[in-house]
Amino acid sequence: MRRSSMILRVVVLLYVGALVGLPLVFVFQQALIHGLGTFFRALGDHQMDTAMILTAKVALIAVPLNVLFGVGVSLWIVRHPSWLTRAIDTLIDIPLAISPIIIGLVLELAYAQNGWFGSGLAALGWHVMFSLPGIVMASIFVSLPLVSRQVIPLLREMGNHQEQTAATLGAGPVRIFCTITMRSITWATAYGVSLTLARVIGEYGAVLIISGNIALVTQTLTLNIGANFDNFNDYQGFVGAALLALASIVLLLILGVARHRERKRHDYLA
Amino acid sequence: MTISLNGVTKYFGRDLVLDDVSDDVPQGSLTALLGPSGSGKSTLLRIIAGLEPLNSGHIELGGRDVTNVAVRDRRIGFCFQDYAPFRQLSVFDNVAYGLKVQRVPKAQLRREVDDLLSLVRLEAFANRYPRQLSGGQRQRMALARALAIKPEVLLLDEPFAALDAQVRGELRSWVRELQHELGITTILVTHDQIEAMEIADRLVILNEGRIEQVGTPDTVYDKPANDFVQGFLGPMTVLNGVACRPHDIELCDVGLGIDARVTDVVRLGFEVRVVVQTSSGESSWVQLTHAEAQRRSPFIGEHVSLRVRTTADLFR
Amino acid sequence: MPVLALSTELSKPTEQPPRKWRLFGGARGAARVVRVAGKSLAVTYLSLLVLIPIAALATNAFSKGLGSFWDAATQRESIDALRLTLLCALAASLLNAVAGLATAWVLVRDRFAGQGILNAIVDLPFALPTVVAGVTFYTLYGPLSPFHVNITGSWIGITVAIMFVTLPFTVRSVQPVLESLTFNAESAAATLGASPVRVFRTITLPALAPALLTGTGLAFARAVGEYGSVVFISNNLPYRSQVASSYIYSLATSGQTNSAASVAVVLLVLALALLVAFSYVSRRIARARG
Repeated sequence: MRRSSMILRVVVLLYVGALVGLPLVFVFQQALIHGLGTFFRALGDHQMDTAMILTAKVALIAVPLNVLFGVGVSLWIVRHPSWLTRAIDTLIDIPLAISPIIIGLVLELAYAQNGWFGSGLAALGWHVMFSLPGIVMASIFVSLPLVSRQVIPLLREMGNHQEQTAATLGAGPVRIFCTITMRSITWATAYGVSLTLARVIGEYGAVLIISGNIALVTQTLTLNIGANFDNFNDYQGFVGAALLALASIVLLLILGVARHRERKRHDYLA
Repeated sequence: MTISLNGVTKYFGRDLVLDDVSDDVPQGSLTALLGPSGSGKSTLLRIIAGLEPLNSGHIELGGRDVTNVAVRDRRIGFCFQDYAPFRQLSVFDNVAYGLKVQRVPKAQLRREVDDLLSLVRLEAFANRYPRQLSGGQRQRMALARALAIKPEVLLLDEPFAALDAQVRGELRSWVRELQHELGITTILVTHDQIEAMEIADRLVILNEGRIEQVGTPDTVYDKPANDFVQGFLGPMTVLNGVACRPHDIELCDVGLGIDARVTDVVRLGFEVRVVVQTSSGESSWVQLTHAEAQRRSPFIGEHVSLRVRTTADLFR
Repeated sequence: MPVLALSTELSKPTEQPPRKWRLFGGARGAARVVRVAGKSLAVTYLSLLVLIPIAALATNAFSKGLGSFWDAATQRESIDALRLTLLCALAASLLNAVAGLATAWVLVRDRFAGQGILNAIVDLPFALPTVVAGVTFYTLYGPLSPFHVNITGSWIGITVAIMFVTLPFTVRSVQPVLESLTFNAESAAATLGASPVRVFRTITLPALAPALLTGTGLAFARAVGEYGSVVFISNNLPYRSQVASSYIYSLATSGQTNSAASVAVVLLVLALALLVAFSYVSRRIARARG
C-alpha cells in the first residue's frame, strides 16, 4: 500500500512538473539567456513599455468594476433570491464557456462602427473597436463570474443569522454590511480579485479582435508578446512573457494565502 | 416590559403558519413557547423580534405598538440556535458590538464588557475567537452579547438544542437563575417539554400555528386542555379507551380492577415500564418508580389488574 | 457568580444617539434606494456586456438567412477545424480527468514536503496568460526544441497545450469533495474484506463522480474555445491543424463577419451543450446516490 502511494506521488509530481513546472522555468531561462544586463535593457523597449502601460490602465478600470459588480450581485442572488436572480446566476457563468475569440467577435458585432449601437456611440465620440473602452469591455466580459463564484457559496453557507443578530443589537444596514458581511467574505473576495486580475492582464484572443493589435496604440502586453513572436523577435517576446509569468506567480501566492485563510475559517465550522 | 400579542397571523406563501395568535406575557416572566416542529413557534419569536413581518395583528412591547418598528429599534435581545457568533471578531468585540453601535465611551464600554464576561464566566476568553470556544461557551457569549445592550425583552430560539445533554442541563439552570436575578421578560422557544417545564414560569403551547393552551407547568400537565396537550407534555397511554398518564395507573392484584397480563418489563434505572395487555386486547403501559418496582417485582406473564388512581386515592 | 452586582446596571437602559439620515426617511430608506439603484445597475451592466452582444451574434449569423448560415458552418475548413478542436479537447479533458483525480488524491491523501508548492503550481494555468503558455510550448516542443522534438502543426501539440490549460479544472473540482469525504464508508468496506482497489472503484470513485464530471465538463467547454495557448503550436494550417477559434479569427479579420458569426454560433452552441450535458449527468449521478 505504501509503495503504490509512493509511485502515485512520483507520477503526479512528474506529470505536473513536466506539464506546468517545466514551461514556467523555461520562460525565465529564455528571458535571462543573455544575462541580466540584456534583460533589463530589453525591459526598456518602447513598444513593450507602451503595452505595459496600456495593460495597467485596462486593469485599473476593469478589475474594480468587476469586483463591485461581483460582490453586489452575489449579495443580491443569495439574500434576495427570485426568478431574476436565478437567471442572472446562470448568465454570469456564461463567459467561462465562451471562446475569447467569440467574445471579441460579439462585442464587435454589437458595438463596432457598423454594429448595432456602433453608429450611435460613434456620434458620441465613443469608439469601441481599436480603442481602450473596447479592451476594457472585453476584459470585463471574460472575467465577469470570477468574483461571484467565490463569494456566492460562502454567503450561502454563512447564512444570515449573524446579520440578523447585528440588527437586533441596533446596527443599521450600512454598519452591518461593513462590519459583518464584508469581513466574512474578505478572503473569498481577495481570491476572486486575484483571479480577475490574472485574467484581465492575461487576456489575448478577445483583445486581439477588439483592439486590432495596433502597435503603440492598442497593443496590450499579451498582444505585444504575440507580435514579437510573429516577427521572430523571440527574445523580446520572452522578456515580456517572463514579466507576466512573474506577475502570475505573485498572484498565485496571494491565491494560496487566501485559500489558506479561508480553510482556517472552514475548519472551525466543522 | 410586558409583551402583548394580538391576533398575529402569518402566511408563508399560501401556508398559514400562525393563526390569530394572542397572548399577554407578564413583566419579568420566563415564558416557554412549546410545540412540535412546524408549529410556528420560531416564526412567532422572529415576528416579535421584528426579523420577520406579519400579515395581520399587532405586537406591543411595554404598551408601545412595535408592529411597524424596525428590529434595531425594538430593544430586544435575541439568541439563535446556532449562536450566530461574529466569526471575524474576538469574544470581547462580539459582546461589545451593540455598545459600539450606541457609541458608548471606551472606558465605560470596557468596564461593561468585562462585567458581562465575568457574568458568563468567559473572562479568560476575551481575546479568543469564537472558533476556539466550545458550544456552551459560544452560547454564553451570545447571551452576554444580547444582554450588553440592556434589552427590555430577551428572546431565545432553541438556545440549547445544539448542545450535548450535560452542558444543556447546566446551561439551562444557569439561564433560569440569571433570568430570575435580572428580571428581564424572556421568551424561550423549545420543542423539549421537559426543558420547558423545568425552567419556565408559564408555558404557551403551540400546534400548527394555534395556541392550544397557556398556563403554568403544573396546570398544563395536570389539566391539559385537550388530547394534543396531554400527549405532548408527558407520557400517555390508553386504558378502556380513555387517555391517561401511565403513572396514574395502579398495578393491583387480580380482581381489583381491569384484568390484564404483563407482556414486557422495561427497566430504565430510575423508572420501570410495565407493558400490559387487557383481556379485551388493549395494550397499555404502567409507570412504576424504582422503589415501587422493587416492592412489586412484576414479571412477564404475571396476571394483574389495573386501576386509574384518582386524587382521592392520594389522600388515603 | 456576581449576578446580583450586575442586576441594577443591566436594568438601566442607555440613551439612544440621535438618528441621522432623516432626509431619506432614515438610513433604511437610503439603503432601499441604494439597493434598487444597485439592482438596476447590475442588470444594465449584465445586459450591455453579455446579453446584447450575444443577441447581436445570433442575429448576424442568421441575417443572410438560414442557408447562408448552413453554408458557412459546413464549409470543409469549418468542419475540419471543428472536428480537430473537438477531438483534441476530448482527449485532453479525458487525460486530465484521470490526471486531475490523481493529483487531487496526492494533494489530499498524501503528506510530503513541498506539497504546498504542488498545490500552488496546479493553479498556475489559471493565472498564467494563455499567450505565454502558447509561445513557451512552441519554443519547447517546436522546431527550436531543446529536446529535439517537434509536435507543432499536429493534434498532439494542440492536445498538450490544452492539457496545460485545463489541469486546474479537474483538480479543483475534485479536491474539495475528496477533502470532505470521511474515511468511514471506505473503512466499512475494508472491514468487509474489500481490497484497496475495490474500495476505490466501488466506494470512492462513485462519490467523486459528480464533481469529476462537472470539472471535466468545464474543462471541455474551455478547451473547445481555447485560442492563445494553442494558436502558436498549431501552426494554423487550414484543413490540417487549425482549431475552430483561429478559423473564426481568420474569417473575422478578413471581413467575412457573417461566416465568422455563423461558425461562432456553432462553436458556442457546442460548448454550452457540452457544459449542460456534463452538468446534467453529474447531477443525475449525485441524485441517484442520495
